[in-house]
Amino acid sequence: MEYRVGAGTFRALNDVSFELPTHRVVGIVGETGCGKSTLGHAIPRLLPQPPAIVRSGKVVFRGVDLLRLPKWQMPSIRGTGIGMIFQEPINSLNPAFRVGDQVAEAVHIRRMRERGLDPTFRRDVQGTDYSRREMPRAGDVVSAPFVPPALVDRAKARSPPVSKELHEEVLSFLRLVRINDPERIVSLFPHELSGGMRQRIMIAMALSGKPGLLIADEPTSALDVTIQAQVLTLMKELMEEVQTSILFISHDLGVIAEMADEVGVMYAGHLIEFGPVAEIFESPRHPYTKALLRSIPNRYKSEGPLPSLAGSVPNLSRMPAGCAFHPRCPIARDVCRHDPEPPFVAAPAGPDGAVHRSACYFPEEVASLP
Amino acid sequence: MGRSKGDLVVFIGKRLLQLIPVLLGVVLITFIFTHLAVPNPCAAWAGPKATPSVIKGCEQFYGLNKPLPVQFEDYIVGLVTGNWGIDPLTHTAVLPSILAAFPATLELVLAALFLMVVVGIPLGVVAAASSGRVADHLVRIFYLSGWSTPTYIAGAVLFIWASKEFGLSGGAFSTITSPVPTITHMSVVDAILAGSPSATADALEHLVLPATALAFINMGVATRMTRTSMLETLPLEFVKTARMKGLTEFWVLYKHALRNALITTTTVLGLTTGAMISGTVVIESIFTWPGVGLYAYDAITSYDFNGTIGVVIFFAVVVVVANLIADVLYGLLDPRVEWR
Amino acid sequence: MASATASAARAAAAGSVEEEPSGSGVRSSVVLFYRILRANILTLVGFVLVVVVSVTALLVVVVPPITHLILGHSLSILPYPPLDTNAFPYYQAPSLAHPFGTDQNGADVFSNVVAALPTDLGIGFFVAGVSLVLGGLLGLVAGFWDTPGTLSGAASVTIMRLTDIFLSFPTLVLALAITATLGRGEIESEIAILATWWPFYVRLTRGEVLSIKTQPYVIAARAAGVPESRILFRHVVRNLLEPLAVYFTMDVGTVIVTYSTISYIGVGVPASIPEWGNLMYGYQDLLLTAPWTVWSVTGAIFVTVLGFSLLGDGLRDILDPRSRRIVASPGRQSSKLEPSS
Repeated sequence: MEYRVGAGTFRALNDVSFELPTHRVVGIVGETGCGKSTLGHAIPRLLPQPPAIVRSGKVVFRGVDLLRLPKWQMPSIRGTGIGMIFQEPINSLNPAFRVGDQVAEAVHIRRMRERGLDPTFRRDVQGTDYSRREMPRAGDVVSAPFVPPALVDRAKARSPPVSKELHEEVLSFLRLVRINDPERIVSLFPHELSGGMRQRIMIAMALSGKPGLLIADEPTSALDVTIQAQVLTLMKELMEEVQTSILFISHDLGVIAEMADEVGVMYAGHLIEFGPVAEIFESPRHPYTKALLRSIPNRYKSEGPLPSLAGSVPNLSRMPAGCAFHPRCPIARDVCRHDPEPPFVAAPAGPDGAVHRSACYFPEEVASLP
Repeated sequence: MGRSKGDLVVFIGKRLLQLIPVLLGVVLITFIFTHLAVPNPCAAWAGPKATPSVIKGCEQFYGLNKPLPVQFEDYIVGLVTGNWGIDPLTHTAVLPSILAAFPATLELVLAALFLMVVVGIPLGVVAAASSGRVADHLVRIFYLSGWSTPTYIAGAVLFIWASKEFGLSGGAFSTITSPVPTITHMSVVDAILAGSPSATADALEHLVLPATALAFINMGVATRMTRTSMLETLPLEFVKTARMKGLTEFWVLYKHALRNALITTTTVLGLTTGAMISGTVVIESIFTWPGVGLYAYDAITSYDFNGTIGVVIFFAVVVVVANLIADVLYGLLDPRVEWR
Repeated sequence: MASATASAARAAAAGSVEEEPSGSGVRSSVVLFYRILRANILTLVGFVLVVVVSVTALLVVVVPPITHLILGHSLSILPYPPLDTNAFPYYQAPSLAHPFGTDQNGADVFSNVVAALPTDLGIGFFVAGVSLVLGGLLGLVAGFWDTPGTLSGAASVTIMRLTDIFLSFPTLVLALAITATLGRGEIESEIAILATWWPFYVRLTRGEVLSIKTQPYVIAARAAGVPESRILFRHVVRNLLEPLAVYFTMDVGTVIVTYSTISYIGVGVPASIPEWGNLMYGYQDLLLTAPWTVWSVTGAIFVTVLGFSLLGDGLRDILDPRSRRIVASPGRQSSKLEPSS
């Protein structure tokens, strides 16, 4: 994945290779600007082309390489195949339409495809079909009263925007994300909702396509801490209920540890470590992962200032030769400063046979770092 | 302070009240420009051979011998009571002439507006969606061509070319073969109301050229504004959300992005009323379209001061009302706007 | 079955990366200007047209007096004197001697059209320029010192009311009415257009000032105790220049169109002065018999106005801060394209 800007080109994604097994949650973690969001956007081909250029690589979804798919077929992958939740719910809902209509549109698209009425739709990449199953029961209701009563009365006066059946399904998806009064919420506009509520709507909208893969791009970063916890709890519960694969992107290692089964650590457009979440946290095999872990506040020990990682992510247009991390690495040696970059290799299999790979010449020494 | 129907009524009422000082200012400025610049037009009207007594009589008749403040007061009273003066050459009353001509102008402007919306807005979307590529260049050349063509050239060329090719001639009613009763004074609407297909076709035939000329020179506003606001809307997150629902690019562009881009385009279209009306003066005079623009052209070129003042004030009222309509439309289109 | 593999194998070696512009402000603005022109071919076309038209107009005006000084007799870049009746046979089609042919008075159309260029272009620059200065200053006052309850606040309200009133007039109609009352003449027409033109600049400037005033960097400067005068010049005026420059560029063309319309209707410049609207008025019936006359004038107006429009339209795309980043500096691109985080 490259960006072409003016006469210059730089690589935003490089050598990122992993598998996302069915019904598992893979977390992607890294600093700002490391390419994790670019990765999230590259999979459903949301990056604007130009300036983004895909030089090489594959995104295989249900046996189809999405990067080779003609552009006009991409919409049929989205929604029912791959769903996405974005970072800022304020911006990711269309300000001009009622939220009910926006969710209804996603439901409508899926229903058209289920009935074979969508001419662009590809059967071979059809969404996971859990439509015949009972809708999951809503758990505890967490949505608080936040809309002024005047708005409520007016909202009730507005007629339902869609057909009865569609309307019912929209309501059921809003109940799924623990919205306790969906009849009222559907006729509100995004700006009349709180941030947490908007993100619930976004989640409901993504889930209503019943996607096989859900990409959550920092879904809680823009929210208040308390709302963040609510939304994370909701997502955690939903993971059990809706059975899709999830790619969870976050800069917060704590969130990743909570949500993910496997973790990929990214640095400067490279995937530098990938493995089961427990393994990565207990025995990281890359000095960058170690440094990230060290900077998590520990609530039991407070020994002076938190350690922080000196320096910053290199500018993608001026990448250092060799290992991208060597300027900031405490164990860098000569071999790290020259090409080629360290290969992405698997560690000797652990007792449970899980694969744990990292891109470091000296993975054994990482354990000895402070 | 909200968005209920009552709030909208209050909002419109307030805006109408705010119009009063603006309109007073319009009248004052028009009065100053005409009465101070030419304190005594009687000499010009009466011609070089007129005797002093004739000029005196003329002054008496039009109240020009009174002090300026009194003249202004008389003028305001006249405006409010509907007495906008009479054309000194034809001795016809100004306001009834303007009001009788207005439906024809409204018809022309609405037809041009329709073309601008139906052709201009999709072109703006196409240009924004293919920003920097050939289609974008072509669209920009198209609307900038309209922008760069003076109204009179577009009108005259179209008029002469069409009268040579098709034998079409100008005028809303000039060659209508089967006359229909005039109800609304809009040729097409009257023909439809009369239920006569041939008269409708004839009226449309006469409308299409002036409306096209007027739309072409103002096309830039609709297209350019749509292109600009689409360029601002397309990078927003909710466009990505729309794509991720599985919508095809057509619906992403024309439903989700354009719905938001239209908010700005509507406002700007309201603000072009002034330019459209300026255009009618030239277009109507070329096509002899019996509207207010033609009346304005005749009044100005024959130095009919009462007619000129009347037409300027009338047009200012139209512009102000059009801006109010654009404001209300803006509020209706953008659910985030509160009516206050 | 839902198995997704994201894999971007090592990409081929990336191309060279252009260094960010560094060094003096002048040099970086030259670099920016170069990038602007290279970014869009239409902007470049507009720029070239504007330069060609302006240089030609300058030569028409400047060459006769200079040659008179140096050689003792005037030379002109016009092949023949403009509006010279009965100089040549009537209605001659374009030829080598008369590239745009001759008209119904036997005058050389090319000379007429080129002789009108300085008049029209000069009026365009003059009216748009005076409006820019006058309207810009009024808009700055109305936008920057609009605290209610103060003297300047009252002035601000007055300016805006007056602007609203003037904006209610359809430009051309009011200008026509004023010229009709003032009488025909170059100065009279200019005053008439000016009277209707400045309010647009007041509205534009005030809107920009109001939005700049609430920008975080201005509030931060205020909080840091930066004096008002410095805020006014360093932040507000500095950021006004770009939108005003864009508007001005497009406006020169609009003035030319409006001005020639007034002449065409017959109340503007006297017929003895070569001016495009005047020429068009004389040629309007010749579209079928001597089409070269009409097309020459049309072409001249079209090319001139289109040049300014293309340049202004392109500048707007580029000077808009969002799109500007794309053109100006590849280094900062990542922050724009990386969609979130």
